[in-house]
Amino acid sequence: MTGAVRITNQIRRLRFEHNEMTQQELADRVGCTRQTIISLEAGKYVPSLSLAFNIARTFDVPLEQVFKCEGSENCDCC
Amino acid sequence: MAPLQKRTLLGLMITIPMSVALVAIFMIEGATKFNDDLGMRLLVYGVFIGGMLMYMLLLLILRRRRNKTQAFYDERDLSIARRAGRVQLLAVLVSLGVWSIALNEVYWEEGQIPIVFPYLIFMSSLIVSILAQSVGILVGYWRENANDRCC
Repeated sequence: MTGAVRITNQIRRLRFEHNEMTQQELADRVGCTRQTIISLEAGKYVPSLSLAFNIARTFDVPLEQVFKCEGSENCDCC
Repeated sequence: MAPLQKRTLLGLMITIPMSVALVAIFMIEGATKFNDDLGMRLLVYGVFIGGMLMYMLLLLILRRRRNKTQAFYDERDLSIARRAGRVQLLAVLVSLGVWSIALNEVYWEEGQIPIVFPYLIFMSSLIVSILAQSVGILVGYWRENANDRCC
């Protein structure tokens, strides 16, 4: 069974929970541009695994707490 | 605006006027005059080399002005630039095809082309390549912003 997969994230919420970290601060810490953080928060860009892990590590939370897969049975597999 | 997007816009701001100037010179003077007229040759080389030097100089200034701790480009920019490379290749191939067909049609009877055309083909390929890459990158950013989800 396949369906449209949507990856959502909690980056905006996590930033605010971490002393209202700015987008630029997060971008500098994970080694990307502020525009990429903006795109991620808007759900317009799905990051690579390494960037996703870097973001999760920055917030000191597991990857699944930052990114969530929605909209497909495939999300529940593996 | 992403740094790569800024750089691309800068490239377009220089290459578009440069291309228009070169086309205007060849349209006013005539392409075959290039062989005989030293003044025209110097003007063409001046516009071409001057444009390229100005582009490099502005890139250098842009790089020096940015904050060293901030990333200049990242994986998202690279994925957009990679896709723009396909547009660039296609545009150069199409321009070479157009040159070949046009020159064949115009100079078929003579059986040879004036020596100026290899120069023109080289210059136009370089310009088309820069323009197509810039347009490809800008369209990539635009599509990413327009789409709900990309890449």
